[in-house]
Amino acid sequence: MNVFRHLMAGLKELVRSDKAESELTEELNTYLHEAAEEKVRAGATPEEALRSARLELGGMETVKHEVRAVGWEFAIEVFVHDVRYGVRMLRKSPLFTAVAVTTIAIGIGANTAMFSLVDAILLRPLPYPEPQCLIVVGTQQRGGSGMDLMGAADFLAWREHQRSFEQVAVLDLAGRSFALSGVGEPERIPGVGVSANFFSIFGVAPLKGRGFQPGEDRPGAPGVVVVSEQFWRDHLGSDPEVLNRTLTLDGKMHTIVGVMPAGFRFPSRRPVDVWAIRVLNPPDGRPPYGLVALGRIKPGVSLPQATAELNDIAAQVTAQYPNSPDLLGAMMPMKEWMVKDVSTALLVLLGAIALVLLIAVVNVANLLLARATVRQREVAVRMALGASRKRVVRQLLTESAVLSLLGGVVGLFLAYLAVQAFLAFGPGMPRLDEVGINSGVLLFTFVVCVGSGLLFGLAPALETSRPALSAALKDANRSSSSASAYRTHRALMVFEVALALLLMIGSGLLIRSFVRLTHVNPGVQVDHVITAAISLPGNKYSDPPQITQFWQQFLEKVQTLPGVKAAGVTMSLPPNLVAITNPFTVEGQGYDRNRQLQLAEEMTVSPDYFRSLGIPLMKGRFFSTSDRVERDKDPMIVIINQTMAKQYFGGKDPIGSRIQTGDPDPGAPWETIVGVVGDVKYSGLDSPPGPTLYVPYNEKGWVMWSREMYLAVHSSGNAPEIVPAIRNQLASMDSALPLTQIRTMDQLLDESLVQQRFRTLLVSGFAGLALLLSAIGIYALISYSVSQRTREIGVRIALGAQRSNVLGMVLREGLHLLALGLLLGLVGALLVTRVMRSLLYSTSAVDALSFIATTFTLIAVALLACYIPARRATKLDPMVALRYE
Amino acid sequence: MPDKNAALVQGTLDMLILKTLALEPMHAHGIALRIEQISQGVFQVNPGSLFPAFKRLERAGWVDSDWRATKNNRRAKYYVLTASGSKQLKLETRDWKTQSVAIARILEA
Repeated sequence: MNVFRHLMAGLKELVRSDKAESELTEELNTYLHEAAEEKVRAGATPEEALRSARLELGGMETVKHEVRAVGWEFAIEVFVHDVRYGVRMLRKSPLFTAVAVTTIAIGIGANTAMFSLVDAILLRPLPYPEPQCLIVVGTQQRGGSGMDLMGAADFLAWREHQRSFEQVAVLDLAGRSFALSGVGEPERIPGVGVSANFFSIFGVAPLKGRGFQPGEDRPGAPGVVVVSEQFWRDHLGSDPEVLNRTLTLDGKMHTIVGVMPAGFRFPSRRPVDVWAIRVLNPPDGRPPYGLVALGRIKPGVSLPQATAELNDIAAQVTAQYPNSPDLLGAMMPMKEWMVKDVSTALLVLLGAIALVLLIAVVNVANLLLARATVRQREVAVRMALGASRKRVVRQLLTESAVLSLLGGVVGLFLAYLAVQAFLAFGPGMPRLDEVGINSGVLLFTFVVCVGSGLLFGLAPALETSRPALSAALKDANRSSSSASAYRTHRALMVFEVALALLLMIGSGLLIRSFVRLTHVNPGVQVDHVITAAISLPGNKYSDPPQITQFWQQFLEKVQTLPGVKAAGVTMSLPPNLVAITNPFTVEGQGYDRNRQLQLAEEMTVSPDYFRSLGIPLMKGRFFSTSDRVERDKDPMIVIINQTMAKQYFGGKDPIGSRIQTGDPDPGAPWETIVGVVGDVKYSGLDSPPGPTLYVPYNEKGWVMWSREMYLAVHSSGNAPEIVPAIRNQLASMDSALPLTQIRTMDQLLDESLVQQRFRTLLVSGFAGLALLLSAIGIYALISYSVSQRTREIGVRIALGAQRSNVLGMVLREGLHLLALGLLLGLVGALLVTRVMRSLLYSTSAVDALSFIATTFTLIAVALLACYIPARRATKLDPMVALRYE
Repeated sequence: MPDKNAALVQGTLDMLILKTLALEPMHAHGIALRIEQISQGVFQVNPGSLFPAFKRLERAGWVDSDWRATKNNRRAKYYVLTASGSKQLKLETRDWKTQSVAIARILEA
């Protein structure tokens, strides 16, 4: 009640301050006259009475001021006054204001943009009800780490026996797209297969229609599909009658039962146009492992408890499939699973940009310090007139807050542009649709603004208001009153150099790592190669001879096209389009179940695949069209890569040796090695070399896998020019088949490095900015120091000092600070760069070359920044210098 | 001009104003005059302290004010003690008495 009355009274005076003012004036006047009359009664003349009453009252304005100062609203009045005063002072020196605001705007803008990414991707909870209960479930090998995909056997057993989750759903990550026909040109659209309860796990309402219903994932149920809002808009023309329309996916008819809103995207790392039902049949073996399970964990059940339960169930599955590896469960919160690939990079970027802001803040603090000397006079006058130091500091801090808020407003605009540019041109990341400048981001910006305003304002404000009154007023001895300002100046300088070096070393490491990545030999011919994806729908190409015949005829047609040197098909493409990995056993190795599984990237290829990508033959032979591998009794043959030959056959010639593939099983068929080829990167340019297995695409066990293939064509001319001809040949064989994902090998390599390129560019940009800012800072400091010492330098020159002595003197001062800053920066870098370790490819976090090269770059730039003002000092005319001031 | 109430304990002036108003509603100069008279000139109230005190008391809700004519027929702001003001006065008076008795005992000891 009391607080309320204070609040209301204060507000009333704020709103109607002139009324309160006039009432007070009237009251004081009455007082004055009453007092005077009193004195007249006591015998004074009216003039005397009024005079002495006035004296007693003291200053009318002083009394009014003291009355005003009683309410809380006075603080606001003072603040408004300070802001007005601050704005006036800033307008008086537009150049200073422009430089400071720009510096702050860049720093705050970049921080805001980066924070809006971090906020949307890492900080905010997932946009589903009770998101903390959403868990992603997979498996891992005993002794392994991370999370691998799950097999159907494990999932079905777990779904039946688990008690930790309210509901569990499954997502098939092995199939990533569907062939869409019947709507315009045939094409492949991104999509995933899910279980019927997939949508109910998330608890997101569809935009139209419904999610899947229980039972729709039973074998033989009619095909149903849910589409994304974007697909509905782009492919179905936002048809309001979309429900019950049909889509032909992989040659099979599906009824559209629902449209999911644009905000729903899962899995989120790539676009999803359709969600289709994945029917899980009881499997005949434990592999393949292509599933991810999801569920809502029950309240009160911890992740370790749930994992322990899955471990028990997995152990039973292992017992059921005696040849399969001993698998454990792996679980992580859904958000973590979604963002795990980008979180380190994002945090490093945020850290880097925060350093840039700190450097910007130091620069502005230095600017303000330089102004402090100028403003000391003004401040001294105010203090002489009775302003307390507290009052002056408060006013100066308000002024820097105004400065930083101005910078913040401009920065917000820059941030908006930066975020839009990122969304348009940046690399794909999870949860990008949630990125934006929202209230949380605005609050962040505001806090950063006020924080940096205080940070860069405090030292200069304390400095300006140092109580050295008479000296400042007389302005006789400038250098003594600014000695401590100069000390602060230099400390800031050292700090700035250290921060800049830290950032530059970070970017140096990333650049070196990136250069190494771009120099990684992918193992294939890069020029004149075009690739594309072709997928044969299962209902039309349902038995092996059809598939074999199709590829055989198609490849013959492509090979005879003018300009084509070689053409082949493959399940996997370098540098990162590996389709499957498979365990293998070398003859004579035994079947020890406790041995870690030996995994090889395995793919089916056509005989000419190796020639089309220029993969060299090391030993033995390539596959040939005359190899007979299609019938059950035909011998099975494989080609292995060099790394596998080295790792598993040592000095021996592997040709003619035999291996088995799949889970270790003495009864598995033997496959004979007929050739050894050069290593190719299929799992990313940064992946370590590992074993690779190639099998003929038409081999009996594999031919059904050879429906989704990449075409690779080596042409003599400009590779993309051949695409129309290839498309014609494809249409001539089956007009419903789309030719998709058309890329040159160059593009594939490029695209595989998109994340690395992005963060390297960004951090390098930040480092460049840091270098520029600190160069400006150094330049400003040395110039300032020279201008402060003009007289002294003049005296020295007049007394016969050589130009080189003066140059040396000024440079020495700069070098001293530089050395301190570098030392601090190096120590900091040694401590900090380890957080980047996971972002670096075959580059140590304390890579000597990166440290040395960046240090020398900084030294060179800093020296230049010192040299310019130092040289100016040597050009001083002693006569002018002595008359200076 | 000697400011004799400068050494007054903070809040004492407020109590004296409340006490003055307990007799009858009064305007600023009247209050100052009365305090001076009753204290037989010991306290001369400085307007620089008096007016902020009025605002403080009004904000606290202990006094109210309205505009009336003075004896000399001048428009003046009259301060009136409110119910919570007289409660506060009682409280402060009691505290003051306890304290002054205690202080007197210490000084006489």
